[in-house]
Amino acid sequence: MVEQGNLKNRLIELNMGPQHPSTHGVLRLKLTLDGETVKKVEPIIGYLHRNAEKICELDFYCDALIYFDRMDYVAAMNMEAGYLEAAEKLLGIEPPERVVWIRTIMAELSRIASHLVWAGAYGLDLGMLTPFFYVFEQREKILDLFTEISGSRQETNYMSIGGVYQDFNDKIVYLIREFLDQFPKKLEEVFNLFVKNDIFISRTKGIGILEPDVALQYGVTGPMLRASGVPYDVRKAQPYLAYDRVNFEVPISKRKDNYARVLVRFEEMRQSAKIIKQALDKLPDGPYFNPKAKKSLMVRLRGEGDFYARTESPKGEFGVYLVGDGTVKPYRVHVRSPAFKNLSVLPALAKDVLIADLVAISGTLDLVFGEVDR
Amino acid sequence: MNLLLRIATILSFLGHYPSYILGYLIETIIVIIFATVVIAGMVYIFRKYMARVQMRIGPNRVGKFGIMQVMADGLKLIQKESIMPKGRDDLAYKLAPILIFFGLIMGFIFIPYGPLAWFGDLTVSHSDVSLIIIFALIAIMPIGEILSGISSNNKYAVIGTLRGIAKDISFEVPMMLSILAIVMAASAKVSNPLDINGVVVAQSIPFAILEPLGFFVFIISMAARASYSPFDMGESDSELVTGNTTEYSGLRFGFFYLGLFGTIFLGSMMISTIYLGGYLGPFTNYMGFIWLLIKTLILVIISLTIWLSMPRVRIDKFINFGWKYLLPIAFVNLVIVGFLVLGGIA
Repeated sequence: MVEQGNLKNRLIELNMGPQHPSTHGVLRLKLTLDGETVKKVEPIIGYLHRNAEKICELDFYCDALIYFDRMDYVAAMNMEAGYLEAAEKLLGIEPPERVVWIRTIMAELSRIASHLVWAGAYGLDLGMLTPFFYVFEQREKILDLFTEISGSRQETNYMSIGGVYQDFNDKIVYLIREFLDQFPKKLEEVFNLFVKNDIFISRTKGIGILEPDVALQYGVTGPMLRASGVPYDVRKAQPYLAYDRVNFEVPISKRKDNYARVLVRFEEMRQSAKIIKQALDKLPDGPYFNPKAKKSLMVRLRGEGDFYARTESPKGEFGVYLVGDGTVKPYRVHVRSPAFKNLSVLPALAKDVLIADLVAISGTLDLVFGEVDR
Repeated sequence: MNLLLRIATILSFLGHYPSYILGYLIETIIVIIFATVVIAGMVYIFRKYMARVQMRIGPNRVGKFGIMQVMADGLKLIQKESIMPKGRDDLAYKLAPILIFFGLIMGFIFIPYGPLAWFGDLTVSHSDVSLIIIFALIAIMPIGEILSGISSNNKYAVIGTLRGIAKDISFEVPMMLSILAIVMAASAKVSNPLDINGVVVAQSIPFAILEPLGFFVFIISMAARASYSPFDMGESDSELVTGNTTEYSGLRFGFFYLGLFGTIFLGSMMISTIYLGGYLGPFTNYMGFIWLLIKTLILVIISLTIWLSMPRVRIDKFINFGWKYLLPIAFVNLVIVGFLVLGGIA
């Protein structure tokens, strides 16, 4: 006779990260495991906290940009656009028309670059080595464009209050068009590597289902929310930059699972390419700098009141809250970081799943820790 | 005339028995060196091929075309400090990589390499039951994996090992069933069907054509044995760091690395021996060994392509696949082969 009472179900506690190949950046997941099944997930963050908001408050309005560059470091242009959306309203400096279009182009290029990183990293999460290099080839081309126009690859510091650092010339327009000509074909290549693979489909379809009401409760935004069937995109809901003057669609999916998030992100890249094409056609002539915000005057800009601006970063709704007390430095800077909110839904999403699925789910969150921890 | 006789003739001044024993030893050492060099070459081919697939250049700094890169990496692994975890089971921890390497190298000794020009038959060891011996020797490697996992005092390693055991059980039964079908088919033609050389001789029609189902099962099993993607759930690097080898470093890790590539090569060699006619081909008596190498290399390249393009299967889905599809397919194959043998076709 075997005494069954002695065979107790023992739960294992496992620390995944902060140094672990699957947790993007320095995420630490405290898992409670029953064999292979994950009973509880507790994300622990803070390993990349750099006090960015407080440092912004110690500097002039124009200097905060470099800290925003380093928040979502794979999509720096979107961060800059988000900050300027708030800062320019607060300081009362209107950017010229040409600048608005240039920023739209750069933000969309940056969105493509960010989604490409996600696609490559997601492939790695599921054990596919090759797509990573295919997407990074394309991303490098975008970063080359950034280098051409701003002088640096990732932390571009390209936009500034009331304008941009350098005007678009014929060369950069030509280079962007050249990039767009070859991009859709390469994107489909990578897309097919994912969705035409049965194993990939079996790893994503029906796994990590996020109900729309749960997503809204946790404040999930961006592609995560749209993959759950909620058509919310700040670019449409509260247009900024030139998004109300270009023609594009907001992809949504009713599948609600990992697969839906893959589809939505790929479709967003196609739409971004469409937006850039239109913006290049409509790019007006004019100054690339508001003379009120000349370099010599920039440190004297004073703002009073408070302003909250929301923009659509690749990860979701990126909000910047600025309070000015009439001096040359902001009184309070606060950032609503979409990746942070998206991460908070992980314990609800990854309950009673296998470890392999936990990795597959956390890969679709598209976490960038510069932004989560700030 | 085979290689052993040639060596023994050269050493005949030592007397009859010493010359044979020494000749046997020399041939074994030659095969071990051959296996190691081949595996090193395969690592180089793999890295170059992987780089081409991924639009990179690959190693090109050390030596001409980076040929010496593998050597440099090996030297690096040897001179590295071997960091050992606290609370390990010392004997099991140190035994595991040796077992892996032992199982792998011994497997090479029983492969029928076939004749090559002046050297004659290159096969090291003949035995009437060498087919069984090979599978018994390969079955030592999972023991090494299990030991490495449970002895290194690491949760990732334990989970990886449990996955590895579950995986091994679910594909080894169908694999042995497909081998049983091979023995049945071979017994109709030759008197020594359990000798792997007999299996080769019996293949006037390659068994891959005669038993496509068994061929399929065996290829999948060999891929799972080598545990490369999509069957690398045991050491899935994005989930369990590297599974059972998490706590290994230095030369001991090198053994595991060698084991991975060696199993791919040995597996490809066994597939080509058992199913694709091994050393048989035009001018077998002069270049049988070359045919074996060509067949093996084609299979290796196919394996690498699968490795590079597939994501990882989830462990429970693989167990399902093993028991619900592979096992019935293997049984169906067995029945079909039975009828073929009865009907005198095989």
